[in-house]
Amino acid sequence: MISNNNYEQLKNKAAVIRIRALEDALRAGKGHLGGSFSCVELLVSLYYGGFIRIDPKMPKDPNRDYFIMGKGHACLALYPILSDLQFFSKKIYLEYGKNGSRLGGQLDTSIPGVEYNTGSLGHALGICAGIAKAAQMDNREIRSIAMIGDAECDEGSIWEAIMFAAENKLKNLICIVDRNRLSVTKKIDSEVLFGDFKKKMNLFEWNCHVIDGHNYNEIFEALDKTTFSKKPTIILANTIKGKGVSFMENDIKWHHSIPSENEINIAREELGITNVNI
Amino acid sequence: MKLDQVDIRDAFFDQLYLRGSENKNIVILSADMDAFSLRKFSREFPDQYINVGVAEQNMINIAAGLALSGKSVFCYSIASFATLRCYEQIKVNLCSLNLPVSIIGAGAGFSFGYDGPTHHGHQDLSSMRLLPEITILELSSNDLAKKSINYLIMNKGPLYLRLDKGPFPDWSDYKIDFNKGYRIINPLEEINLISNGFMAKESIEVAKKLKLKGINCGVIDLFRVKPLPDKLYEEIICRSKKIITIEESCKTGGLGTALSEVIAQNKNNCDLQVIAAPDKQFIEYGEREWFHSKYNLNDKGIVSLIINNL
Repeated sequence: MISNNNYEQLKNKAAVIRIRALEDALRAGKGHLGGSFSCVELLVSLYYGGFIRIDPKMPKDPNRDYFIMGKGHACLALYPILSDLQFFSKKIYLEYGKNGSRLGGQLDTSIPGVEYNTGSLGHALGICAGIAKAAQMDNREIRSIAMIGDAECDEGSIWEAIMFAAENKLKNLICIVDRNRLSVTKKIDSEVLFGDFKKKMNLFEWNCHVIDGHNYNEIFEALDKTTFSKKPTIILANTIKGKGVSFMENDIKWHHSIPSENEINIAREELGITNVNI
Repeated sequence: MKLDQVDIRDAFFDQLYLRGSENKNIVILSADMDAFSLRKFSREFPDQYINVGVAEQNMINIAAGLALSGKSVFCYSIASFATLRCYEQIKVNLCSLNLPVSIIGAGAGFSFGYDGPTHHGHQDLSSMRLLPEITILELSSNDLAKKSINYLIMNKGPLYLRLDKGPFPDWSDYKIDFNKGYRIINPLEEINLISNGFMAKESIEVAKKLKLKGINCGVIDLFRVKPLPDKLYEEIICRSKKIITIEESCKTGGLGTALSEVIAQNKNNCDLQVIAAPDKQFIEYGEREWFHSKYNLNDKGIVSLIINNL
């Protein structure tokens, strides 16, 4: 269980990240906010909850944990975190979306703390499986964590990686699925994959936890359980696209809509953040 | 021309076996693809060998993860599948990250002639040429196969190597310089044949037959197709009246196209004849020699194409 004090801190981090993402999107005139907001609590847990062991001063330390965000278009949720943890300067952070800026609409390895060039879906889990395999070969006790979207699970290479990881017993591999139920153009409400998901993944010889992806206790509990796992773990995090701001939640247009000043003010009130110092 | 009795795959994998025995960082991934000499590696170094199954896309992704963790990675599959089936994985996960992974494609050209167009290696080279960061090698002799291993291990980025099968010549007398990227097998003349891989040894036979007809040709083994060697223009094209490229790939995008780009970009007057397989998928079955005979890619056919174009 997370203490009340820590819980409030994490809640505040998440609110600040959402406001910053809104302001960044408005300033740049571009960004994917809906899918960024659905994974904020997951990212806050990973980075501020101690589940990703990586030193911002030595982001290439071979003994670090590896995190690859397959859904790199949700980078507006990650940039404020990497900036806050001082992987890069606030000056770089504020350049988001400008011509020639290091921080664009996708993540790439020129950004300190980023392991992979995102943009094409379906690759992150296989690469994380390769990282986990290398660690297994070398007896390195590291975590290899992929975060993918639920729509991304349509990609066949995800399932090649699922089988590989199980056959190789990659216990240090964690896959988090941001199950926000909306892709660019459609609702993802089919039960073919996500119905009885835990049972299906157990049959694939993965550990599986189905959680509320906005509930810190459930996120922490699921991530804690991976520590002593003998198998790879998949966490199906039920989330809400656009979470936290009433007019954005579950509305497909917020996949890549840009807010107005007025909408950001409404969001500030709803999130209880009146003043954000960048 | 006397052929070495050793299969070129054995020349290649036996050397990789030796290096793998000293360097535990070397890992071979196979997409359910076998070779006699590879079995020794997989049997004796099981910790350095992963058969990912029939999953080329995953093979490249796992290779990327291993390489990001510092491993020296070799991926092995049929040329057509090792390139086209996982093209985006190579583009994004190996090339854009510039990872040291060597893809070994078996079955160049018509070497799997009986297995239809899915297995023919006709578009692998041209498709790989489109990827900016990749190095492309094509092996024409057993000495080159052996010596390529060190180059592959030292190479810092993604690499595609076309590996043939069966006996190949031993051209140890001709110095190999990987940085140079080509070697002159027969001294330069006004007409020079440029080829590589299986067609390099064919070009030697072509040159012999042409000589009997009073036509002298130089023969160049252009084993590094990408990046094209810096000195190729100055040292070969500028000294030739006519270049004839001989390849087993499809006519579009391969060796001939690469040379035509260099000649055109330099506004050079050198004549160019491209001899290659037609630009089509061959839904027909037969031995490599049968295909070569049918499509004028054996020495007799090539000689007639050259003479008719003089």
